[in-house]
Amino acid sequence: MAKLLLTPENQIQRLNQLLNAVENLKERSLIELTDRPHEKSWNVLEVLEHLCISYALYEEKIQKSLNQLGVESEEPWEYRPGFWNRFVLEGQRPKGKKRPFKMKTLKKFEPQLPKAVTPQDAETVFEKFKESHIQLKKFILASRNRQMNHQRIPSAIGPIIKFHLPEAFEFLICHMERHKVQIDEIVSSTT
Amino acid sequence: MEASNIQILTSFFKDILFTHEQKKAFLDLWEECSFKQNELITEAGRIEKYFYVVLDGVQAIYLLNQKGEKVVIGFSYAGSPSGVFDSFIHQKPADTFLEALKPSRMLALSRRDYIGLFENHPAFYRWGYQFFQEILFGRLFREVELLTLSAEERYIAFMQRCPKELKVIPQKYLASYLDMKPETFSRLRASVQY
Repeated sequence: MAKLLLTPENQIQRLNQLLNAVENLKERSLIELTDRPHEKSWNVLEVLEHLCISYALYEEKIQKSLNQLGVESEEPWEYRPGFWNRFVLEGQRPKGKKRPFKMKTLKKFEPQLPKAVTPQDAETVFEKFKESHIQLKKFILASRNRQMNHQRIPSAIGPIIKFHLPEAFEFLICHMERHKVQIDEIVSSTT
Repeated sequence: MEASNIQILTSFFKDILFTHEQKKAFLDLWEECSFKQNELITEAGRIEKYFYVVLDGVQAIYLLNQKGEKVVIGFSYAGSPSGVFDSFIHQKPADTFLEALKPSRMLALSRRDYIGLFENHPAFYRWGYQFFQEILFGRLFREVELLTLSAEERYIAFMQRCPKELKVIPQKYLASYLDMKPETFSRLRASVQY
């Protein structure tokens, strides 16, 4: 854990893999996308909607931090998070197919989709997901050759945790990877 | 298309005899693209759209190892082909990044047009035979060098044959390509004549 090294290339590669995986989900039927393993579980579209909500809570803060970034650097950034933020990131990152530190979702992150989801609703969720996460990739690319001198971003899980930009990107990607594991679980238990 | 670009293309596809009409149609297939220094031309996880011929600049193709470090597989530069070829052919997400290490200009050919060259002009099969043979021999030669030469010998062999524009890219890319630490590369650069 001490050696955790964040790089924009690693984040871009993982983000592309996640975007591809979600793109492949579009081939599934509406029944599969809205089916849930048990009553209290989210369905696939709700997980994607939850990821859009989480991203939206960071978008403005990331944009603000990007505007504060210093001059161009010769090399893309490499970033080693401090002890506490490493702990937060590793808590979010799935371990294989396991999701450590499961917790109840705060109300502000709860997906609110109509009870009877239409194909149009599903398309909207996919579009929103793609648009937001392509924007996230644009942010990573925009930061890639800049010096990381900016004020830290308060996390959406509470102001006690503050992120530098590479950590905020990493947190969002780990969060997506965690929910990708959940999507795989939902899909395998409902099909 | 500029005369200098035509010259690079015709020398890259040497031995192909076009009629006047065919040559015009062939040149029209290529699109010139520019990339800034450090711009990612192709990202790992995306599908490569183009086969490139480099006009100027230097590009590195690399992948990330399990520690997240860049492992450089090769370089491209003026007059050489570029792109993530396996992804281009199979239309599968790339495992590697292609990055412009210096501001770069490249001529790009789409996959449809690349396939069309072979379908419409049998002469391209002859060209392809030579081209892929040269690529294969080059890769085999590099494998033998990596497996049999010491770090110093690898450094000398590479510096003797590499074009001058490659000598000015950040050392860590050259070091990774030669499978040595940047510190070793730096020490050799300071102490070894080639």
